[in-house]
Amino acid sequence: MTSPGRARSTLVVAAAAVAGLVAGAAALPNLSDSLKFAAIGDNGTGDRAQYEVAGQMTRLHATFPFELVIMLGDNMYGGQSPADFVKKFEQPYAALLKANVQFQASLGNHDRPANVSYKPYNMNGQRYYTFVRKHVRFFALDSTLMDKKQLDWIEAALKDSRDEWKICYFHHPLYSDAARHGSSVDLRLLLEPIFVRYGVDVVFSGHDHVYERVKPQKGIYYFVSGAAGQLRKGNMRLNAQTAALFDQDQSFLALEVAGADMHFEAISRVGKVVDSGVIHRRQAP
Amino acid sequence: MPDRTRPLRGAFPRLWAFAMEHLLLLPAGAAIALVWVNASPETYYGFVYAIAFVVNDVAMVFFFALMTKEVVEAAAPDGVLHPWRRALLPVIAAVGATTLSALIHVRLVEALDEPALAIAWPVALGTDVAVSYFVARIVFRRHLVPFVLIIAIACDALGFVAIAVFQPAADLHLGAAALVMTGAIGLAIALRRARVTSFWPYVLGAGGLSWYALYRGGLHPALALVPIMPLLPHAARDPGFFVDASPDARDALSRFEIVWRHPAQVSLFFFGLVNAGVPFRALEAGTLGLPIATLLGRPVGLLIGSAAALAAGLHLPHRCGWREVVVAGFAVAIGFSVGLFFCAALLPPGQLRSETSMGVLMTLAGAPAALVAARLLRVGRFSRHSHD
Repeated sequence: MTSPGRARSTLVVAAAAVAGLVAGAAALPNLSDSLKFAAIGDNGTGDRAQYEVAGQMTRLHATFPFELVIMLGDNMYGGQSPADFVKKFEQPYAALLKANVQFQASLGNHDRPANVSYKPYNMNGQRYYTFVRKHVRFFALDSTLMDKKQLDWIEAALKDSRDEWKICYFHHPLYSDAARHGSSVDLRLLLEPIFVRYGVDVVFSGHDHVYERVKPQKGIYYFVSGAAGQLRKGNMRLNAQTAALFDQDQSFLALEVAGADMHFEAISRVGKVVDSGVIHRRQAP
Repeated sequence: MPDRTRPLRGAFPRLWAFAMEHLLLLPAGAAIALVWVNASPETYYGFVYAIAFVVNDVAMVFFFALMTKEVVEAAAPDGVLHPWRRALLPVIAAVGATTLSALIHVRLVEALDEPALAIAWPVALGTDVAVSYFVARIVFRRHLVPFVLIIAIACDALGFVAIAVFQPAADLHLGAAALVMTGAIGLAIALRRARVTSFWPYVLGAGGLSWYALYRGGLHPALALVPIMPLLPHAARDPGFFVDASPDARDALSRFEIVWRHPAQVSLFFFGLVNAGVPFRALEAGTLGLPIATLLGRPVGLLIGSAAALAAGLHLPHRCGWREVVVAGFAVAIGFSVGLFFCAALLPPGQLRSETSMGVLMTLAGAPAALVAARLLRVGRFSRHSHD
């Protein structure tokens, strides 16, 4: 017999999938000149579920050749010796690394600060940094230590950016309806005004071990994707701001930015599309 | 018609006086903060961000000034810090206590899988001198209270140095700070030589310059009056630690305390309100790192430090053995006000600050721990031959 929570989750996912199908292209269009990337959060457990999610990512890559994976923090749990990096990162994502997929990490509260120097994370020793892929500028932040220097930096970097898309990602979600952690309101009051002022389009976060797509808040789309290894089953609490949620299995996000559209699919550990849709960029920069 | 509000209006001044006398405004502010942030985080953080600077960087100047005043008087004849040789063993013991607490904290948060919390290790050095003093008074009564006080003050001094040296987010301009601070201290010396007896020129003139020096230099401006208070003319003898100045006292230091002791407590209320609001959902296992580190590290570290001091030829106070040192260690494990201050100075808003702040609040367990330890070890009021 299905538990009430599972029924709720399934209902929401189904409704969201239908809404996605009605709203726009549910599948990723897989255009030749688009930016294709994936997002994973809270992945570094080294256990079977992480490997299975990584396997799904590898399978997807065969037909949807994403060039980039953004990591939303808690990239490693527990021990962080060289052997742990092999078990919790290099092995599960070996096929993607071999295919020259670039991983760009942000740190979470379970990551060692020294991990900024781990070469495959491509952080170049920086806690926060920016990089551009095609017409999309990414800003990776360190939400664990959001000091004034970093706030000043992100404000200046966003102000200077003339890229079509501005995407921020960091560990602690500004909006989340998971019961365990929920929204980081202290960070929201610091970051949201800056994001709104300088036209951030999308924010990705982890920390809560679920998948959630939040309805646009002040014009910004928020995703929580913190279940690429960890999972807190049944942890979501339906809220008026929830657009879609999935908390029954591990998952990751696959995204494609083509012109003014961002297509997305949230894919579960077993390869099921649990949410999909398209985001239209608000306005030209 | 009978005035039904009269009993309530009459009760408020009595409540206020009680709260003031028993230093309850800080715990009251902290309690309100905990409820508020968990009930309505948006309004709480909106309020906190609006007033944090005024509270932490300006109002707290007067709290630290009053703490410095106590230390200055304690260094006078009859004071607990007089002569200075009396302070040597407790200071060495405090080095042991703080070092071990910090080491345990760093190791423990790693073991609890939150290595990011390791940068908060200076918070493990913070000690609420007032609470530690009152716990010591209850356990030891008069005996050994000075010993506990010196340890607490030394722990805080080491903590301030640690914050200044290891503050991770600071942009330091020490040259500029030193230049302006020299001017501030010079002005205070000049005022003293000119036999200025009012505290206002010291506070507004020298203190204002000192505040600017620290602020400009990237150091914490709440310590602005710490270098100035020793230069205020003060009484020849110490009236007693945390003993209110007599209303008839004429020296500048005593007059400062008479005017500012109640406003400083109001500052502490707002300080608790601004800094103790911890959303419970932000907490993870690493939260336990700080309280375990201090509750374990202080007693054991004090023992190690005391042993080192004894090996160097120093002496413990009369009728003070390892049992008393252990109990003293629990009494000085309480971070509370200074711990919260270190937390706010060191960490920006976010999960690290939330977890560390909750850890500081949990160090209040040092109070019952001291009482239980004293009971089990038959120390102080629980000893068979209590002379207190």
